[in-house]
Amino acid sequence: MAIIEFNDFKWHYYETEEHDLTGVDLKINKGEFVGLVGPTGSGKTALCYSVMGVIPHLSQGRVLGGSVVVDGLDTQEHSIGDLSRSVGIILQSPLSQLTGAGLTIEEEVAFGLENNGVPRSEMIDQIKHVLKRVGLYELRKRSPFEVSGGQQQKIAIASVLALEPKILILDEPTGYLDPGGTEAVFSLVKKLNNQGKTIIMVTHKLEYLARYADRIIIFNKGNVVRDGKPQEVLSDVHLFKANNLTPLPVTRLGHALKLKRKWKGDLPITVKDAVRGLK
Amino acid sequence: MIEFKNVYFTYPIGVKALFDIDLKLSKGERVGLIGQNGSGKTTLMKLCNGLLKPTKGMVLIDNKDTMSQTIAQLSKRVGYVFQNPDDQVFSSTIKDEVAFGPRNLGFSKREINRLVKDSLQQVGLWRRAKAHPYDVGYNRRKLITIASILAMNTDVVILDEPTTGQDPMGKRVVKDIVRGLSKDKTFIVASHDIDFIAETCDRVIVLNEGRVVLDDETRKVFSKKTFLDKLGLTPPMITRVCQQVKKLPNDLLTIEDVLEHV
Repeated sequence: MAIIEFNDFKWHYYETEEHDLTGVDLKINKGEFVGLVGPTGSGKTALCYSVMGVIPHLSQGRVLGGSVVVDGLDTQEHSIGDLSRSVGIILQSPLSQLTGAGLTIEEEVAFGLENNGVPRSEMIDQIKHVLKRVGLYELRKRSPFEVSGGQQQKIAIASVLALEPKILILDEPTGYLDPGGTEAVFSLVKKLNNQGKTIIMVTHKLEYLARYADRIIIFNKGNVVRDGKPQEVLSDVHLFKANNLTPLPVTRLGHALKLKRKWKGDLPITVKDAVRGLK
Repeated sequence: MIEFKNVYFTYPIGVKALFDIDLKLSKGERVGLIGQNGSGKTTLMKLCNGLLKPTKGMVLIDNKDTMSQTIAQLSKRVGYVFQNPDDQVFSSTIKDEVAFGPRNLGFSKREINRLVKDSLQQVGLWRRAKAHPYDVGYNRRKLITIASILAMNTDVVILDEPTTGQDPMGKRVVKDIVRGLSKDKTFIVASHDIDFIAETCDRVIVLNEGRVVLDDETRKVFSKKTFLDKLGLTPPMITRVCQQVKKLPNDLLTIEDVLEHV
């Protein structure tokens, strides 16, 4: 069942470098883990904003046609507040997301719940639950500003999770993280996905998408260019080149070997595939 | 060119960031700093241009102690691009932002115009020169900050996480800039983008909890998979593949390297 539905949605920005949306048709099912890939300015952010309702309610521009329906709500008829019960977003830098309103991690996570008027007793349970889920319960009394970048990103995720959205949008959430932190965020997101959350992950880190996503959308010039399984999409070197993107190093290696007739079958998208092929 | 002698650094709030650093960086070297978040990469780089002064020990730039020099003096020699462009950008046009450095260094008007044009062309933003820096996206703003350091034509260029958030095109731009730096310029970069380090640096320094734990040729550093694993670090994807295929050496970095062996 589709939880997000774009029906020939057209959006025109008045003044920005981000591309207009040029008639997007897209269905995302409940429980899918979608990787969204595209060059800077391709409209990926516009697509995410359209799911949250920032488009059309806050962004400078106008709808030229079509509709977006999220969890049964038409985004043009419902407010961002209504939609925020279904959709949560996590941004590139946790520092731009943490409010600083709380002295402890626990209080930081409470911020969104307080704003939603959740009763205190319920809030305490809820905070405990989400902090355990992201693995931060032991650190709950620490300041959000004295833990590592990876842990800060987990705080941001916990704050959003506390509001119990069905859909999580993550916009380049691991940009500033080391490999350990990146792996931790991806595996946490996968765990949430296994528990039924629908995930849209915007990232240039294809190596992780190859392992974690079950669907990849290549986005460019304000529309979907390709939509399919990771193996099929990520191994298409011509598609990548045509959209100013670079395939994974292992895929490029496989392609180079194929040109020399030294590679048979599908091009690799993981280290494992490449090792198997080279043996 | 740059020398650390027994350097310790502790932040005023008490956080101990670096311990006993002894390093020599020569003219023309391309040096990559890797390590987990909080391992001391940024602190080490800020000591190179006097943004920070050591708590103990000495940092020498061309045999002169940074303690006895002002940031203004040091910035003629060492250009530093912050991790977050929003910590750096303040002018109302891209052109002014990039002209700020060379203007303060006392270049002639003609020279300033040439430097600004050259460096904005290098990052592909010359045709947006009159735009406000905040009218372009975050990733392009990062390129503006790189251009403004290039325009100062310093002997040392330091970049903190230059490819974060950049799409493949943006990465290529940054890579070409580094590769295009003249041979006599020293280049230092801190990054989690291991492929970028592998493609641009000839020496890699590994930091862990404020100490240098490994310092060697790029190839040799990435061949030590088990050691890096323990620190939560990863060799480039191609290197990892080769390390699991018996007939291939464990220090190959690029696709070209592999093609020579297959």
